[in-house]
Amino acid sequence: MRRRVRTILLLTLKDLRRRLADRLALALNLAIPLAIAGTMALVFGSRPGEEPQAPKLRLVVADLDGTPATGIITGASQNQEAAKHLDVSVAATREEGLSHMRDEHFAALVVIPKGFSDAMLSGRQATFEVVKNPAESVMPLVAEQGAGIAALYLSTGRRLLGDDSKTLAAMLQGDDWQDSAAIAALATTMYARVHGAGNWLFPPIIGVKTEQKAAGGTNGFNFIAWMYPGLIVMGLLYVALMQMRDLLRERRSGTLRRQLVAPVSVAEVLLSKLLAVAAVVAVSMVLLLAAGALAFHIDWGAPLPLLATAAAIVFTTTGFAALLYSLVTTERQGEAFGGILVMVMSLLGGSFVPPQVLPGWLQSISRFTVSHWAHDALRWIVAGGGWSDIAQDLLVLAVLGATFIGIGWAGLSRRYARGAL
Amino acid sequence: MSPGSRVAPPDRARETPLVVDDIRFAYGKTRAVDGVSFEVRAGEIFGLLGPNGAGKTTTISIISGLLPPESGQALIFGREAGGASGASRARMGVVPQEIALYEELSAIENVRFWGRLYGIRGAALEPAVRLALARAGLAERAKERVSKLSGGLKRRVNLAAALVHSPDLLLLDEPTVGIDPQARLHILDVVKSQAREGRAVLYTSHYLEEAEQICDRIGIVDHGRVLAIGTVAELKRLAGEGPVIHLRGEIGVDRLQEMAGRLAGVSLLGSSGGAASFAALDAAACSALVRDLFQSGLRVEDLRIQEPNLQSLFLKLTGRELRD
Repeated sequence: MRRRVRTILLLTLKDLRRRLADRLALALNLAIPLAIAGTMALVFGSRPGEEPQAPKLRLVVADLDGTPATGIITGASQNQEAAKHLDVSVAATREEGLSHMRDEHFAALVVIPKGFSDAMLSGRQATFEVVKNPAESVMPLVAEQGAGIAALYLSTGRRLLGDDSKTLAAMLQGDDWQDSAAIAALATTMYARVHGAGNWLFPPIIGVKTEQKAAGGTNGFNFIAWMYPGLIVMGLLYVALMQMRDLLRERRSGTLRRQLVAPVSVAEVLLSKLLAVAAVVAVSMVLLLAAGALAFHIDWGAPLPLLATAAAIVFTTTGFAALLYSLVTTERQGEAFGGILVMVMSLLGGSFVPPQVLPGWLQSISRFTVSHWAHDALRWIVAGGGWSDIAQDLLVLAVLGATFIGIGWAGLSRRYARGAL
Repeated sequence: MSPGSRVAPPDRARETPLVVDDIRFAYGKTRAVDGVSFEVRAGEIFGLLGPNGAGKTTTISIISGLLPPESGQALIFGREAGGASGASRARMGVVPQEIALYEELSAIENVRFWGRLYGIRGAALEPAVRLALARAGLAERAKERVSKLSGGLKRRVNLAAALVHSPDLLLLDEPTVGIDPQARLHILDVVKSQAREGRAVLYTSHYLEEAEQICDRIGIVDHGRVLAIGTVAELKRLAGEGPVIHLRGEIGVDRLQEMAGRLAGVSLLGSSGGAASFAALDAAACSALVRDLFQSGLRVEDLRIQEPNLQSLFLKLTGRELRD
């Protein structure tokens, strides 16, 4: 047993010494995920020391009604607070709005039809249109959901006004606009209605408590903190694949066969290779976590859940690499298939867009990817989650990793038995 | 000298460094090794001589435990190399055909790694590493990265890595391919010194001169079979006393066959692409063939008479030349 352990350590350290001997290659290998994360940070504008902000919702509004009521919507972005989150551009017609949305990359076009205010204030069915820009990713969904909320508020407001809506409509259309007494009377009535409704509506029976995990001491939305876990997983998958490629490199150079004619078992050779890959992936993970904390102000929460999550991710990514390199026969095949698989898993698993925006059937497939569970665990960690939040993720990652390693091990052993290792 | 008659009886196998007994192996439908048998004794250099693709490397792979034979067995001091314990592999040093080294590491780091892998530890390691490097003539280049060394020096490191644990049996698979004459001579000297120290050496090559120069006994292989085994002198005798006549020109196979059939003591060994080879029983038969060739009116552009050697034996056995 001692001899076996010594042999495995010797083979593992040999691989690590080789990595250290070629420092440039190692640095490039470790730099890939950092470079991706850095690029993303630049793209999304979150820099060290800056208060991170959510991207603005950019809308084009075609106000065909043109009443003071709809003017409130078109002028929304002039409000200082709203302007932080909203960028509204006005178009004269629907066609102009569509063209504007397409050319200027707005998230959506809101078309307020002629007669909208009149219909709403007189109690008839009123409809406004939201056209989502298919070329944009997440923000059109935000626009759609925002429009739904706006419609709900307007409907509720209309119902609170009751019969006074006719007076309000007449005032907004310019009739009796100079009548101060009427305005005062309407204001008093509206206040009374709102106050009366308030007894029913407030305080709400069900409350929502929102806790924003501090990201560098700010309470803003840290987009990179949301995205960074996905980038970590994608980067680690690449690192694992690049390290495991060494198995085929050793086969090509003949050093693998040379090891196997020494008093060493194939199990010792394979286990040492897995350990060497896992060690480099683990170092990469530590660097990436540190970079996230230092450069992007990400709070990685309690150390033990983070450690367990990191270990599970290292185990599973190493297993994934072993599985892939048990199936391919050349380094080029490994690079090509590995690159494609990592990209597909990252897309499905939520590295770039939340899995929730994917069609249902893709969401189902997503659950079979390493990325999905690894992202989920890391995002819970970033959100301050505890053991109960990450338990399922860790369990699935462990099962996936063990399955990958089992299949990969069997494939490589079979290849050895055929004399093809 | 028949190919299958040199195998040690079972009771002697434990003392014999290498006994190969009727091993067979095929890659799919291609039979690479087809009933190969021989043995290598302590202090002996045994050469497996044959062209590329003859089955030499597959034979070495079976002996070293990388490939399981379909039938037959290869025993190292009475044990199969493929055994789980690795005890027989520990007594064996293998110099593969490729330069199987870690290019990122220095020569000494490589040799040290292989020494540790073969179980040398503690105070014994460094002297063993230094000795192996010195034997390979690398003492002054030991700290250089392998990637920076020339092809010849890499071959020497390749050899040193197999010598570091002082194996009782040394398997060398074409260890001098693609290197300059000086490096080749050095490697051959090291191999000879290993045999002098009592080690058994199995040496594969397709270089005739090398085999003639260093091997005590040679097995000639082609298409996975051992065609003849013996000392260089024995094999030369097997080649016969008569010379081999090679000619090139505008020659018709039918005319050559007719000529060989008509002349006593002359046989056509082979012909292709405007070249042909004849075996003559003695000098008189050789003279008769040459005279007939010039009188036949055939346009002979080149004619070469070769004294009997391993090349001519290979030609006689296989009908084709063993080319470098």
